[in-house]
Amino acid sequence: MRAAVKSLVDGPHRRVLYAFAAAATILLTGAVIHPGFGSWTSLRTMLVLASFIGFVGAGQMLVVLVGGIDLSMPWVLNGAAIVLTTSSLGQSGRLPLAIVLALGTGAAVGLCNGLGVAWLGVPAVVMTLGMNGVLQGLSLGLSKGLTCGSCASYAPEPLRRLVVGRIFGVPSELLLWAGVALFVTVLLTLTTFGRRVYAVGNNPRAAFLAGVGVRPVTVALYVLSGVFAALAGITLVAYGGQPSLGLGDPYLFESIAAVVVGGVSILGGRGHYAGVVAGSVTLVAIVTLLQAERVPEYGRDVIYGLVILAILFTYGRERADD
Amino acid sequence: MSELRAATLGYAVLAATAVAYLVVYTTNLGHLPTPFDYLSLLNTSLPLVFVAIGQSLVVLTGGIDLSVGGMVGLGVAIVAAGSTGGAAVTAGWMLAAVAAGALCGAVNGLIVAKGRIAPILTTLATLSVYSGLALKVLPVPGGKISPAVRSVLTDPDVPTGLIWLGAAVAGWLVLRRTRFGMRVYAVGSDETAARAVGVPTARVKVGVYSLSGLCSGLAAVFYVSTTTSGDPNAGDPFILTSIAAVVVGGIAFAGGRGSALGAVAGAFALTLVIDVLFFAGIDPLYQSLFQGLFLVVAVLLGSLSTLVRWRRS
Repeated sequence: MRAAVKSLVDGPHRRVLYAFAAAATILLTGAVIHPGFGSWTSLRTMLVLASFIGFVGAGQMLVVLVGGIDLSMPWVLNGAAIVLTTSSLGQSGRLPLAIVLALGTGAAVGLCNGLGVAWLGVPAVVMTLGMNGVLQGLSLGLSKGLTCGSCASYAPEPLRRLVVGRIFGVPSELLLWAGVALFVTVLLTLTTFGRRVYAVGNNPRAAFLAGVGVRPVTVALYVLSGVFAALAGITLVAYGGQPSLGLGDPYLFESIAAVVVGGVSILGGRGHYAGVVAGSVTLVAIVTLLQAERVPEYGRDVIYGLVILAILFTYGRERADD
Repeated sequence: MSELRAATLGYAVLAATAVAYLVVYTTNLGHLPTPFDYLSLLNTSLPLVFVAIGQSLVVLTGGIDLSVGGMVGLGVAIVAAGSTGGAAVTAGWMLAAVAAGALCGAVNGLIVAKGRIAPILTTLATLSVYSGLALKVLPVPGGKISPAVRSVLTDPDVPTGLIWLGAAVAGWLVLRRTRFGMRVYAVGSDETAARAVGVPTARVKVGVYSLSGLCSGLAAVFYVSTTTSGDPNAGDPFILTSIAAVVVGGIAFAGGRGSALGAVAGAFALTLVIDVLFFAGIDPLYQSLFQGLFLVVAVLLGSLSTLVRWRRS
């Protein structure tokens, strides 16, 4: 028993444990100082909001694991949301095609990012920043600033029911998140591909010499990142009904914050999706608590930043060099 | 000479955009750009030029500063909120804005160097803090600036901006040759080796982040002076544009290679591109599409030229 506890605290899952401890601390603090914060209704709302961060966090984590970063998330998300409504026109019959098109948009952008980073040697920050601009321009230009005829369409009803509805009292959006969590965890821990991801993240050169296709692995991860950003866009537009411009803007910093609060090393090679789930909940809980306490906007920004810094000081520090 | 080579990519990109600008301007308006056009280009570029110099210093040590958005926003808020009085009062608040920037930067540097938290994460968190402070100082956009101050900083008719640009470039050239400047490159090239030969790496890092904050404060002063009013969110676009300027300027993201002069050229090129698109009659909605392509293509050209040189040698 003692050995089991010790391996949890000292072992490779230490940071995941810390991430859950951080989430629990914030939730408990909220429940103590604000009655009703810990109720099932409030928790359910927070979990649904956290799921959107969880989707972008999944994509961000996959590229961070190989030492990359995806700054194209905001407009991939926004672009996918616009593609979904303009291609479905609110009709249920067109929904499957619309979902495929939206996810395909994400995959296509991810493919460009991956090819640029892995084959052309463009730094990830530059490549994904550039693609974010490209997607922003295309989204704004093709939708004429969201004033095109089909842009006023709502997300089709079945999709809205899927995200807002419930199955046995559990919001179906949360079941979708659980599915994503399962997929990412199995992919990373039980498959050869997952082993290769960690190998590339820890030492790309050693991985290459050991016969790992570093470039294909990197490209695959950027494609997945694009798909997850698109998934966040699809679910967000289903949740809100209509897309808006700037829908994805908050999700760039939230995705990175969720990943590092979740104990994933920004240098790559270390981290698990379970931590990112805890990180997403932590971020939403902080904001919800500050709103419930009626803290003015400037105070929310300041405290949010300070809490993230405090969490980083607890378990996000790099090793000393000497 | 080495300074020139380090910034070649930036100069090449700037030259190409300048030619494109002259061509589309002349074909559209039937005459060459007037001195007024050059002057307004210079004045609108100045804030980005300052932020880009600060960002270069940080990137040269292998770091990145995302909090420039918050520091510029805070500076703009301080100047705009305090500039309701006369010229002397305004000047005082401008100094306060620059000092606030340097202080915020020093905090970043201390967290990165002493706290051992990755630069991208440190500055992501402090970005939120500094943006919050900017909102506290100036809750709604507003404020105005006295014409006396404006005529000294960015006079719309006389090229006073050139003096400040010259001062910034001269400042970099001097800094580059000081012991501190050498140490910036040493830390960026190989931190462990630099520490082994006695370079105080922590002090150098605190120094570059403080200077980045100081540059953001200066950028805020020039921003308010050219736009004549303040917005607490004014700093946000500078996060991405300053990184773009550094990249187009040929500074290596891994640190240790490049020159802030390249980033200055990159900053001008990025401002020019917007005018090129305008005169080329491209729908402003597509603007960021071309800016994104511009960024990626500029970097690709840079790595291609390195590849060609490497193959030859």
